[in-house]
Amino acid sequence: MNLNIDAQKKNTYDAIVVGSGMTGGFAAKELTEKGLKVLMIERGREVKHVEGYDTAMKEPWDFQHRFRVTAHSAEELWANKRFGGLANEETDGFFTNDKNNPYIEKRPFDWIRAYHTGGKSMHWGRQSYRWNKQDFEANAKEGIGVDWPIRYEDLEKWYTYVEKFVGISGQAEGLDVLPDGHFLPAMPMSAPEAYFKKKMMEKLNRPVTIGRVANLTQPQKEHTDLGRASCQYRNKCARGCPYGAYYSSLSGAIPAANRTKRLTTLHDSIVSEIIYDEKKQKATGVRVINQKTMAVQEYYAKVIFLNAGSMNTSGLMLNSKSHRFPTGLGNDSDQVGRNIMDHHLGVGASATIDGFEEDYIFGQRPNALYIPRFRNWGSDKQSYLRGFGYQGGASRAGWNRGVNTDGFGATFKEDLTKPGSWTIGFGGFGEVLPNPNNRMFLDADKKDKWGIPMIVFDAAFGENEIAMRKDIMNSAQEMLDAAGFKNITGYNRPEVHLGLGIHDMGTARMGRDPKTSVLNAFNQVHDCKNVFVTDGAAMASSSCVNPSITYMALTARAADFAVSELKKKNL
Amino acid sequence: MNRRDAIKKVAILLGGTLSAPTLMAMSRWEQPFVQNTEGVLFSLTELQKQIVAEVAEMIIPKTSTAGAKDAGVPAFIEMMLKDCYYEPEHISFMKGVISLEQSKFLDMDAAKRTAMLTKVEAETKQIMKEREVKQTKMGDNDDKEIMKAQAQGLPFWRLMKELTLLGYFTSEVGIKASFEYVQIPSKVENIKLKPNQKAYAY
Repeated sequence: MNLNIDAQKKNTYDAIVVGSGMTGGFAAKELTEKGLKVLMIERGREVKHVEGYDTAMKEPWDFQHRFRVTAHSAEELWANKRFGGLANEETDGFFTNDKNNPYIEKRPFDWIRAYHTGGKSMHWGRQSYRWNKQDFEANAKEGIGVDWPIRYEDLEKWYTYVEKFVGISGQAEGLDVLPDGHFLPAMPMSAPEAYFKKKMMEKLNRPVTIGRVANLTQPQKEHTDLGRASCQYRNKCARGCPYGAYYSSLSGAIPAANRTKRLTTLHDSIVSEIIYDEKKQKATGVRVINQKTMAVQEYYAKVIFLNAGSMNTSGLMLNSKSHRFPTGLGNDSDQVGRNIMDHHLGVGASATIDGFEEDYIFGQRPNALYIPRFRNWGSDKQSYLRGFGYQGGASRAGWNRGVNTDGFGATFKEDLTKPGSWTIGFGGFGEVLPNPNNRMFLDADKKDKWGIPMIVFDAAFGENEIAMRKDIMNSAQEMLDAAGFKNITGYNRPEVHLGLGIHDMGTARMGRDPKTSVLNAFNQVHDCKNVFVTDGAAMASSSCVNPSITYMALTARAADFAVSELKKKNL
Repeated sequence: MNRRDAIKKVAILLGGTLSAPTLMAMSRWEQPFVQNTEGVLFSLTELQKQIVAEVAEMIIPKTSTAGAKDAGVPAFIEMMLKDCYYEPEHISFMKGVISLEQSKFLDMDAAKRTAMLTKVEAETKQIMKEREVKQTKMGDNDDKEIMKAQAQGLPFWRLMKELTLLGYFTSEVGIKASFEYVQIPSKVENIKLKPNQKAYAY
């Protein structure tokens, strides 16, 4: 009996955070900095900042297959392979083995996962854009999904807070559609890119800006205090940055949380269930399975943050059944697992640029241009709802142009050592509407090797997305044409499914009404107030901009609220 | 799934006119994670290895700088075909090698070899053009799978050229001989090219 009490005491914290990725790390930082003792639980292996970046300093010739995906790797990382090179020997250490972690596709779904310290923050695209005011209002105005219980103004100061900590390089433009943030100096545009920007404003009145990216162009004290240094312009971010120049949970939030000495981290620990106490009417802890030993352990806390990645967060909620919540924790509304959103991509256009033969770039910019949304904005009106942004840019062709160039021999070889002509290309990132029929759920019979029910996906793009994709391709072609570029080619990859944007979100949405939503305005589960969900699952709509800083801003805001509620003894 | 069944039915109706690689690819769909036949179909005889080495060296010859052989490209090509490609490419590559073997490529003088490869390149260009047309006609994902299975592997010359360039321009001797290799740029800036300036490699 005493032993049990001791064990329970030992396993008790002020807060538990499930997941160590983009939002889990940030939750751990916020909660520990505000004085809480926090247990952060990561299901995958431990990766240590810098020393865990095995490939970071390798030369191209150190990679046996020179960044190509092997047949063996394609089999192990089959879902990752759908994204392209993610399953290659340069970065595959930061992606989950899909063969060992299978899921069920009732309809095709590209589920890209990252089970290790830092999660997907290790290899995110780092593009960081604030939502605009309309993004928070569109659902209510158009009668789509549910209304957000918050507005831009509620999140504004948290955006600033997050941007300062993360370090975002960008250019202030004064646009309503893409609100300015707190920026470090912007990265340069190449000569043809600057030309393109000028032409777009002249001919189409469309702004073009340099990408807003979480790479330190001029580190501030709060960055160097954590050991982060300036970007070295290698553009090898996805291998893990030994300089800590791009923001990840591992380079930023986790060291900040560790600095407080109030963070405990578990690895290889899969949270299978949230423990709900029927008498206290709140969650008291989590049940954890060690992925290697299969040992089961319980941990307890006053408040629990779910940051496992949208699909796993909602999977965990659905698997946490109790008398009070027979269909899963917080699932009174039957919305847990529904409304899967993402950003659709794999559609755009490219062209060749005549001239600029003497212009070249030294260094590799880990960033691109950004063309903010212009559809259904201002006076523009389309047959579909919402809009898209473009990311892309110009570069000079490298040696690989030789594959499609006639010839061979000495002259051919010599020519390929010179920079090739300029090419330019843009791909769209389109907003996806929430649809309750786009869902994930737990299979009734099939279980993974830890005995946890397997996740089933049953989701697909709708008419709105398909109509938008046509416009994304056509508009990209029009813009390249308006700039006077040649050999314009559009593309619209038919094999893109939900999930491929790796911005999967929406499966435990925020809302005003517990009957139609899962979380309230502070990311609390409506009827289980000491459980907070602050990863992408919380999203009630998707906007078209990259989501990570919005998730982090929601996390910081919810953590602040949770601590004040704890102090008021409301939790 | 239904499409796969459909292909099988079509195959039966046509009296089994689908090629062996197609049928093998179809069986792989049925058991996507069980079977891995990588490398099994693909191996080169000593003579064929010599042909691959000579063709690679003709694409990237030794000049004042190292050539494909110096950079270990021939062995790289064989390893890549085994590790990173499947039956369709194994078959199409072998077809190309065997064709050169039959035409006694190694016995030809330099001029004849060049003429031969020029002809192969012209033929490949035509095949690649036809492939592109087919690809743009693809509808949904299932169609793409069918296309993949039915399509011939990429032609020999295309594979040779791609893997020779990859092997050479990412090898240590190839990079250092061909480009200005910069490990850690530390900055990004717009510059003007100097006459005859080489490309940067990172």
